[in-house]
Formats: sequence, C-alpha cells, structure tokens
Amino acid sequence: MKNRIGVYICHCGSNISDYVDVEHVRELAEKVEGVILAKTTMFACADSTQKEMIEDIKSEKLDALVVASCSPKLHLETFRNVALRAGLNPFNYIQVNIREQVSWAHSDKPQEATIKALKLVYASIATVKHSKALKPIKIPSVNTVVVVGAGVAGMRAAIDLADMGSYVYIIEKEHFVGGRVSQWDNLFTTGETGREVISNIYNKIMAYENIKLFTGAQIVSKAGSVGDFNIKVEIKPRYFKPGAKVDPDKLEEVIQACPVEVEDDFNFNLTKRKAIYRNYPSEFPEIPAIDADHCTKCGICEEKCNDVDFSMKAETIEINAGAVLVSTGFDPYEPNKGEFGYAENDFVISLQQMKRLIELSPGELVFKDRKIKKIAYIYCVGSRQSEGPNKYCSRYCCTSAIYTALLLKEKYQGIKNIHLNRGIRTYGKQELLYNEASEKGDVFLQFDEGTPPKVSAENGQIKIKAEDILTAGREIEFSVDLVVLVTGMVPRKDNSIANIFKVPIGRDKFFNEIHPKLRPVETVIDGILISGACQGPKNIPESTNSALSAAAKANTLISKGDIEIEPKLAEIDEASCEWCDKCQVVCPYNAILKKDVNGKMVAEVNKANCKGCGMCLPVCESNSIQLIGYTDIEIESFIDTLAMD
Amino acid sequence: MNYDVMVIGGGIAGEEVAINLANLGYKIIMVEKDYSIGGKMIHLSKVFPTLDCAACITTPKVSETARHENITIFTHSEVKNIERISDKEFNAELVQHPRYVTNDCTGCSICEDNCPVVVRDEYQFDMVGRKAVFIPFSIASPRIAAIDIENCILCGLCEKVCPADCIDFTQEEEVSGITVKSVVVATGYNLFDASQIQRFGGGEFKNVVTAMQMERQLVPTRPFNTVLRPKDGKMPDNIAYVLCVGSRDKTVGNPICSQVCCMYSTKQAQLLMGALPMADVTIYYINIRAFGKGFNEFYQQTGDMGVEFIKGKVGRITEKEDGNLIVRYEDIESGKLKEAEHDHVVLSVGILANTDYQSMFNNKAVLESDPFNYVKQTQELCCPPKTSIEGVFVAGTAAGPMDIPDSILSAGAASAETASYLRSVKN
Repeated sequence: MKNRIGVYICHCGSNISDYVDVEHVRELAEKVEGVILAKTTMFACADSTQKEMIEDIKSEKLDALVVASCSPKLHLETFRNVALRAGLNPFNYIQVNIREQVSWAHSDKPQEATIKALKLVYASIATVKHSKALKPIKIPSVNTVVVVGAGVAGMRAAIDLADMGSYVYIIEKEHFVGGRVSQWDNLFTTGETGREVISNIYNKIMAYENIKLFTGAQIVSKAGSVGDFNIKVEIKPRYFKPGAKVDPDKLEEVIQACPVEVEDDFNFNLTKRKAIYRNYPSEFPEIPAIDADHCTKCGICEEKCNDVDFSMKAETIEINAGAVLVSTGFDPYEPNKGEFGYAENDFVISLQQMKRLIELSPGELVFKDRKIKKIAYIYCVGSRQSEGPNKYCSRYCCTSAIYTALLLKEKYQGIKNIHLNRGIRTYGKQELLYNEASEKGDVFLQFDEGTPPKVSAENGQIKIKAEDILTAGREIEFSVDLVVLVTGMVPRKDNSIANIFKVPIGRDKFFNEIHPKLRPVETVIDGILISGACQGPKNIPESTNSALSAAAKANTLISKGDIEIEPKLAEIDEASCEWCDKCQVVCPYNAILKKDVNGKMVAEVNKANCKGCGMCLPVCESNSIQLIGYTDIEIESFIDTLAMD
Repeated sequence: MNYDVMVIGGGIAGEEVAINLANLGYKIIMVEKDYSIGGKMIHLSKVFPTLDCAACITTPKVSETARHENITIFTHSEVKNIERISDKEFNAELVQHPRYVTNDCTGCSICEDNCPVVVRDEYQFDMVGRKAVFIPFSIASPRIAAIDIENCILCGLCEKVCPADCIDFTQEEEVSGITVKSVVVATGYNLFDASQIQRFGGGEFKNVVTAMQMERQLVPTRPFNTVLRPKDGKMPDNIAYVLCVGSRDKTVGNPICSQVCCMYSTKQAQLLMGALPMADVTIYYINIRAFGKGFNEFYQQTGDMGVEFIKGKVGRITEKEDGNLIVRYEDIESGKLKEAEHDHVVLSVGILANTDYQSMFNNKAVLESDPFNYVKQTQELCCPPKTSIEGVFVAGTAAGPMDIPDSILSAGAASAETASYLRSVKN
C-alpha cells in the first residue's frame, strides 16, 4: 500500500476553477490518510509546475501521485514523464479528469461539480494506494511501412520514409499511379502539370531499392498490431507481361482494335475508353492495362500484341510491416440529378470535368458541338450545406475554380467567366488569384445558401437567375453556354480500407486524427497513420505537408527496433486456470493461446496482441485473469470510495 | 560547438521540428530571440476550432523541448552570418544577449516586487505595466527573471534583495561560433501595426484595441481578470470586430489574406459570449474564410450563438465623448452606407512576414524571399519545406500565413525533410 501520496489539483487557467472550487477539493484531499501533500496549480502541465512536482516527489519521498486536471488523452504521458524524471514509477500515477468530465460537463452546476471532482479525487487516491510499479513492455518492430495509395501524398511520404531508412511498400488500387493529381493539367501555384509532378516523383521512387510499388493491388486483410502488422495484398493481373515495352504506334492500333467501350472515369465520364487502356501516353507504370471488369476476353488484342497475356493470375502477397500510412485521397462530390440541372442538362458539368475538358480541347473550347464562350460557375456545390450532410468547406475549390477560369481565358479567345459564389475563400497568398480574376474582368456574384441560383433550359440556351448579395439582393438574369458546378471533396466511396484498418471516421466522414494540433497524422489505432485528403479537404502543398509529417512520425515510431507498449495487459493465474476456451472465444485480438504446463492446459496471453481491453475477465469462471493496472482491488477501491457518502 | 540541426525560432513550429528530430537522435541547437520559448501561441487563450486552451497544447511541447537531452536552447539570442562552408556543413555566429540574471534564478520574483521602475508590459500587449526586472510571463520557459537594461535605472535594489545571488550586471554579449549540418527557419510572423491605418483610430482611441489585446483579456492569466474597455474600465456590452485590418489591402502593402483572422475573431466572439453573456458581438467582414477542418462548422455555430455577422467593409471609426465608437461601414446587404455605435472595437489585425531571417545569412548564402517577404518555398507543391539554400528548410508561418494545425503539419514536413537530408550528407 502506498502511503506517501502527492495530490495536485489544476485550475487549467480557469477551465476547471471557474466551476470547481479547487481550493476546497485540495483542503479535503489533504486530509485523506496517506496523502502527504495536496496543492493547487494554475497549469499543472507548465514547465515550472512539472519541476515543482519533481522536487516534491524527491524531497517528500512520495510513493504515488494523483493529478486532477484534464483528460488523460491529453496529458497522461506528460505526468508519467514527471514521475519518471523524479524517480517514481510512472504507473504509480493516476490522472483524474476533472475538466472534460466535470467542469465542462457541469458548467451549469458548480456546487455539484465540486462534489463530483472531490469524489473522483478521493476514489483515485484510494486506487493509487494499490497501484503497482510496472515496466513497459517492449515489442520488436520491423522498420517497414505500408503506404496505401500512390497519389501525391502517398508517394511523397514513401520517398521521405525511404530516405530516413525505412523499407516501403506502396499499394495502389488502380493500375496506374498519380491519384487525382495526374488528372489535373496545369497546377496552382507553380504552373507545373499534374503529369510532370507525378512523373518526377515516380521516377525518383523507381530509383529506390527500398521502395516497392504494387499497382492494381488491394489490401484484403490485416492481422497483428503496431510494430508487427501482417498485411495481405491481392494483386490483380494486368494481362500485360511485366516489363513489356510496347511500341506506341502499335499500342494505339491494339487499343483501337478493342471492341469494348466503357465510360472513362479518368475523364469523369466525358469520354469513353477501351477495355485495354492507359489514361494518357507515358502514364506510369508505362505498361497499359486491361480492365478485367469489362474485358470480354475476345482475344483480339492478344492476336495483335505478343505482350498481352491472359494466362496471368491474381497473386496474393503478405507483407510484414511496423506501421501503415493511409493516403487514399478523396472523391469529387457527385451532384444529385437535377442539382442545378446536373445530369438533366447536357451543358451542366462539374469543376473536375471542366478541368479535364480543358486538357481534351487543344484548339477551341467546344463541348457537345457547342462553342463555349460564356461560362457560369456555381460554388459550394456539395459543401457548406447547413442542413445537408456536408457541413464542411471543401477548402480547395474557390482557388481551383478561379484558377481554372483564368486558364480558360488564357487558352481560348473570348471567354467570359461569371462566378456565382458564397463568399470567395482564397485564403493566404491565393488571394492574388482572386484579384487577378477580378482585374481580368471575371464577374463575381454572391448568393445566400437560402436563395441559390436557378438554372433552367430555354430554347437550347441555359438561363441563370440569381439574387446577388453584392448589389443589395438584385435579381440578375442571364444566359450562358456552360455551367460549371464547383464541386467539393467527399470521402472515398470505397471504404474497404477504413474497415480493414478500423480507421476512425470524423463527423465530416473523413478519416479522423487523434488531435488536430497534438497528433495530427496519427489515429487512435497505434501504428495506423493518415495523410492527405483522406483526412479532409486539402490542396497539394497541404497534402504534401501532412504526408511528410506522417513519414516523420512513422519513422520515429518504428525505426528504433522496438516499441514500448502499455504493460496494462491481461495476466493469467496458471495455478487456478482450468482451460475452458471462453477467454479465447471472446478475445477480439487473437491474443489468447493455449499452452501446456506440466500436462495441464492453461491460457496464455500473447503480449504483442493483447490490448488490455478486459473482455476476457468477466467470462473467466475461475477468476484466473487479472488486468494489470486494473486489478480487482484497484477497481473495487475506486467504486467503494465513489459509493461512499 | 557542433550540432546536427539549428532550429531558429522557438514557437510552436520550431518546437515541433526540434522534438521530432531530437527523438530521432539528432543534436539540436534552438535559437530564440525572446526571453522565453513558446512563440505567439503561448500567449493565446483558447484556440479554434476545438477550443482547447492554447497553454494546454503548447506548454507540454515547451516543456518537452526544454528538457530534451538532445536539444540545447539559447533564449534572448540571435544568429548571424550563416554560411554554407561545405556540402555538409554551415558555420554561424551565435550572439547571446545578456539577461543580467544567471540561470540559478528560481523565479521567486522578489526582485520584481522591489524594482521601482514600471514600464509597459509587452507580454500583455501594453495593457498593464511590468517592472524593469521581471519574469516575462507566468508560464515562461525558462521561468527566470531578466533585466530590461534600456529601462533599468541601475539602482541595484534587485541585486540586494535576490536571495539566490543571481543578478549580474557584469554580463556582456557573448559571440560564439557554431557548426551545424542543417538549418530550419521557424521565425514566425509579425502582427500588423494597427496605428498605420489612422481612420480606424488604432493607438488613438482608447477603446479601439487589437485582437491580440482582446486575446490577452480572454486568457486565464489575463491582466484584469475580466474583459474591460481601456478608457474607463467599463465592462463592454456592445463589441465590434473589424476584419482584414492590414490584410487584403494593397494600400498598406499587404494584398494577401492572413488566413487566421476570420477564425480567431470568430473564436474570440464565442469566448466573449461566455465571458460577457449580456454583450452583443458584431463582426464586420468581407468574406468569412472558415476553410479548415471543422472551421465552417465553428463559424456556423458562432452565428447560431447570436454573434452578428455583417458583410461590409468599415470605412472609418470615430470616437464619441463617452468613449463609444461610431463605426461607418458599407452594408452590402442593403447596399447603403450605415453607421453603428459600439462601446468597444477590436481590430482584427493581419499577419506580416518576420523578415529577421534576411539578415541572418551572410552574402555568400542568400535565403530568397517571396514577394511578401516570407521565406521562398522553391518546390511548393512537392516539397514545401525546401528553400533556395540546400540544407536550409522552412517551417510554419515563416513561409506564409498559416493557422496552428497547418504550422504543425508544416513543421512535421520540415522534420522529415531535414532527417532525410541529414542521412544523405552522412554518406
């Protein structure tokens, strides 16, 4: 039993002390048997307070520590480190959450909040008395990272990971790399094309011995945990011999010969492509692919080209990795049928389609036989819906739409742009683009979410009616040749990756980080990191920054050879265990094994797999399982104290 | 002195870089010109969009930086003459300005209590006074006193009363040579000086304050323990925010958007609704730029809480005899010029480049700037931390306006690039 306990009650500036009478809690905590000192502090986490705690622990020879402050999610490690530096075992420390669970939750009832805080402090003191000194468990880790997605984020992260000494597998679902960026032509701010960016990165990657790229590959399962994941990947056949070098003219002929035509999703269905395809000449890897979902295996291409090989089979490989970086990107928002005339009127397209259309139209801008001169852009389609599901702002679209409008003006003669927006958000240096568009004669009208512009067709013409905020709500009516819906980003429709890795999803349905400032690229699943637009709308530099951040975090986590994990795991009392398999059945992490101890079968815990969830405890009839750090005596002391008057 | 990396600037970005690289085993020297590390963020109240208190996020990073065995910090110091001397190394001069207080200081503040000189406290943005010998602020790191020699009258009282014998007027500027393998510039930003736009009355009308002054009134360690308007100490009940002060404004030479003011003003409005439940808060804006993760939802919520958003540019602010202010603005919704009376006005000042880095490099190695004097990013799309000098990287707002989450990601990226670079020069 610990009997030299130190208790610290944090004001958290005023976050706690505005509602909880921290001085009162301190006075009463000080009187508890075994408590040597109790103090209040403005910020327990501040450097000066940490130093003071260390001095107290040393000078008062404290054997246990209780800090009543914020959520342990924020500062458990901070105060464990304080204990460690003072020579106290970090597991003789308990953090009491009197902010999120007390002051913030009961800001309307300060008196009751104080009572609750006091009870939690009492209960934690009772618990810490029974705490045991524990040692963290070290598990070996492989310095290998699986990067999911070969877009700009995934590939950039791979390069830095490889530079920092990790081995990297990139797993790309499509047959070609580059993700969304390969679909964009000219890019803000540098004027590089998406292809240039991607080919630069791709060529770099090919030069690394410690990066292995799989295209047409999909993750099918994951086992194990941080430091030691086992990931199964299925590689679809490309039906083209590896290393094939097809003469471009010959290839064109083979492609032309293919009788199957499907919607070309690379061009957002503006065009059709064949079942044998590459999205653009020189696309990486520089070998065409056959779309197995649509190919009829008629054999025409095989006859014309020796490199086609229909005998190729799907392969499954297994990768042992220490960490996984998910960079699966986004989908553009697909407007509903009839949303501003989409899918009803031929001349209403999305921003992403417009971007492809520019590239597909070298000389003149002609769409469905109509010469396009006057274009209206309707902003925030699928974003900032105060009543709809997408409440968020898609961040990149204002800049992207204006940049596209300016490109159109530069490339084609006589273009007129009219931007119907909800307040332009060209933040930071992007503001210059907005200025430039205004100076070049683009017209900006602004509407309220409640009174959106109306798009209608009249004698083949598109009419737009809008109430313009900028001219005191005047109704403006005009006709245009084409309407571009400035559609935002939504999470990928395919959520198989989220299911396999159990990546947490936020309110906006994008993948969620632990904390946007403290741990912006990590998820609550140890060893699973996220970066790029799968985490929320981002432009290219922002995606790159998050990808490189994630590379640094992943490398730090797994490059040391072993990882420390919480010793709060299940422990079997072999003397009383009568193997019944119940614990094994309920364990969600495959952490219970059966072993023979001198002829008697008992349960054994695989420490690398056990998460300390406690599922096995209540099903054990002989009560042979204890959760270290949450032993019966600790939990019972906590509950008994809470239940006292 | 030899280190792997020199991190210039001890704000949130610099700390993030230093901790990341130190955890990978690299030896870091951090140079901070201020008396304490922590940068701008340590002075903020709660931060958008999660409303975590800034101190709760930043003090642990400050503390981790300060105690990390691989990080050596020099506060109240500057760096000069950075020069690339080989493919693998830079030389530089470290200038340590005298603090006139030794590191044995315990922060007891007895010297402060006895000092007879009172000057404006820059850490409270001039709203209250401090002494000539002072602990910069309560959560400073290091939390030791310093003497502001410009204002000190050399009476010697502090020296007499100091129980730890830490006052040392004989300290002099120390210059030492350092050699490092790479440099990370994390020098942050400056705030726009509101008095430059006379028609808003910043610096002239007492009840017109800057957003940083309001921010300080909303933090736990605030000067008045409540929100007061400076002229008469009255609790304001009708507060106006004027956005884009010194941003998106060619006339002051800063045509770009500062990226954070919309959100910090919206956040302050929410905090004011809590601190002064009866007060009306009005925000005059051009466009609300709530673009980041959770920002638009936060903005929506602020409107739902009753904060009034008026689309319109403010043209002029005049002061009434009672200290109230008349805000003349173009009301876009009605298309008319209007006037409104408020008893307190907050100018949401923008951010400008901190150009200090320009004088840190000698002429043999010019660190190029972008048109707005931020550090130029030479590969903005694929490698945002890269600068015009090989081995020199940029992190955080030194590269342009950024909010805290973006600064931290930018710093993470700079860490990865620096670590990759260090491995390449090792071979």
